[in-house]
Amino acid sequence: MAEVSLKDVEKRYAMVPVLSGLNLDIQDGEFTVLVGPSGCGKTTTLNMIAGLESITGGTLRIGARDVTTLPPKDRDIAMVFQSYALFPHMTVRDNIAFGMKIRKAPKADMDAQIRQVAQRLRIDDLLDRLPKALSGGQRQRVALGRALVRRPGVFLMDEPLSNLDAKMRIEARSFLTKMHQEIGTTTVYVTHDQAEAMTMGSKIVVMYGGKIQQAAAPLEVYNRPANQFVAGFIGSPAMNFLSLLYDGNSLLDKAGAVRIAVPQNRRAALAGHKGKKVTLGVRPEHFSILPPGAVPEPDSIAFDVDVIQHLGHEVLLDLSAGDHRCIARLPPSDRSKVGENRLFSIDMDHVHYFDGDSGTNLIDYSRQQ
Amino acid sequence: MSDMAINPAGRGRLLAVLPKLAATALMLVLAAVWLGPLLLIVMTSIKSNAEFLAGPFALPKSPTIQPYIDVWFGLGFGTLLRNSLIYATAGSALAVTLALVPAFALSRMNVPGRKWIFGLLLTGLMLPQQTVLIPLYDTLRTFHLLDTKIGLIIVHGVYGMPLQVLILRGFMTTIPPEIEKAAYVEGATDFQVFWKVILPLSVPGILVGYTLNFIAIWKEFVFGLVFLNSEDNFPVTVGMLKLNSDRYLAVFNLPAAGLVISQLPIVILFILTYRQISGGNLSGAVKG
Repeated sequence: MAEVSLKDVEKRYAMVPVLSGLNLDIQDGEFTVLVGPSGCGKTTTLNMIAGLESITGGTLRIGARDVTTLPPKDRDIAMVFQSYALFPHMTVRDNIAFGMKIRKAPKADMDAQIRQVAQRLRIDDLLDRLPKALSGGQRQRVALGRALVRRPGVFLMDEPLSNLDAKMRIEARSFLTKMHQEIGTTTVYVTHDQAEAMTMGSKIVVMYGGKIQQAAAPLEVYNRPANQFVAGFIGSPAMNFLSLLYDGNSLLDKAGAVRIAVPQNRRAALAGHKGKKVTLGVRPEHFSILPPGAVPEPDSIAFDVDVIQHLGHEVLLDLSAGDHRCIARLPPSDRSKVGENRLFSIDMDHVHYFDGDSGTNLIDYSRQQ
Repeated sequence: MSDMAINPAGRGRLLAVLPKLAATALMLVLAAVWLGPLLLIVMTSIKSNAEFLAGPFALPKSPTIQPYIDVWFGLGFGTLLRNSLIYATAGSALAVTLALVPAFALSRMNVPGRKWIFGLLLTGLMLPQQTVLIPLYDTLRTFHLLDTKIGLIIVHGVYGMPLQVLILRGFMTTIPPEIEKAAYVEGATDFQVFWKVILPLSVPGILVGYTLNFIAIWKEFVFGLVFLNSEDNFPVTVGMLKLNSDRYLAVFNLPAAGLVISQLPIVILFILTYRQISGGNLSGAVKG
């Protein structure tokens, strides 16, 4: 096992920077998830840790060693690829043994370790099959077995579950989490699925535009997003954003469809934004519907109900007020009807305030509590 | 409505199958254009010469294998076929072997200027045989390889190499890069990636290249004619020149039998390798 440390890491392709100023410390045994939309640089970062992409600036350390310029074979890593990347001309046994054979491991050790890993992954009856005779889930476990058997210092996983169907993905997610709890190897896991990141990672690194936007524990990222991008990316349905004007007491829009009083304890954070645009971020679960005929309150907005989605355990309402569009998550008992205009109150203790231009979260959470 | 009226549904069906019918008819015509001469040669080869002269396009009335016996012993076809087999087998093997490493480097590695190197190699494909005859003759003479089997094998190997690079590079490019990356992460060196992963996965590409080269060498005539003098070294194409002499001026069945014998090995080779050539072996490697 080993810690991984990136210091000012950069990646350029023909002088075009794609990643810049990456600083990240991954603790020994930590399950770190790199998450972000396509093209954010998460796979490039993983490939640089693996040694499959050169690092054009900064340093990378795995354990106590500077591995910035070392080839993959000297980095003490193993990798699971999105497409499994099994060797199609080799049996499952030979696939798993590939790395050990390259390193000329004694045959008795090799056989024992393959047996042990195959039993753990429940593929011991598949050892003599070729990859083409396996299902997607089985291939994924073989790829995992190939990585596990060498007992590397760091596991690198590049969207290993994205080719599985929804049911198998949930099973595999639990399996991987349990496996990590058992063996405790430092793991760097790449995904574009924020739900996967939230459920599996002990640390989430949200990336966008070749930069790390926030690196923190899953609930920290969810409850205290560093900026509007992180707030919008983590959570499903996504956080609602209302672009408003701050008048020193309230957030309002020019059309008069929305007027929300800012609580006293938040006004200090917004002091410098009087007369400027502020984006109010509200998670769907922080809306609650008021009874018909309720009196408007300082934290309420009247919305038209446009669409109702019954999901069984909850109801999602698509709402509109002037130019603003929101989604509210309500209990299944809600009986709203499409076309109604209803008052919704907002849980102001859980809303977020973002700079209207830069998207930075205006609340400094380090000063809270 | 009269009985003659065309049912609209039937007309729709007719319009739908019409392109297929036209395509099938066109393919049959093309097949006839290709197969007609072949059929004529096979028919001629099992006729006596008199029967051929009486009706060149008629079906054989009393088929005979005598032309095959005559041409086999008259021309020493056993030796000619053996020589052609040696040149085609060894020449193709040499061409493929010479092409494997450049194809790997040009398809999978970041070699500086690889596009230029590849372009340079491809110019070898564009050179007409006649333009390289004199330099090759001079080179073979310098190394005392004129009129030797090994000399002609080397010429075929080198001359066939650019096409093999083109074929193998194209094939190797289709191997998913993740497979190669996985091998590197597992600790393999460049050579081990080539030897243990890329090479086994390139077998269908190698077979395609080898088969095409084998056929090209089997049919090759000019190099054999210019670089060889001894009948013992002649390939079948050069050996059959004898059938062009005055002695066989009005004989048609013997050249036809010779042609059939000379083409049989490559037909057999194609049948044997067809399945491997048409089917890939990458299934199961990556999701797909």
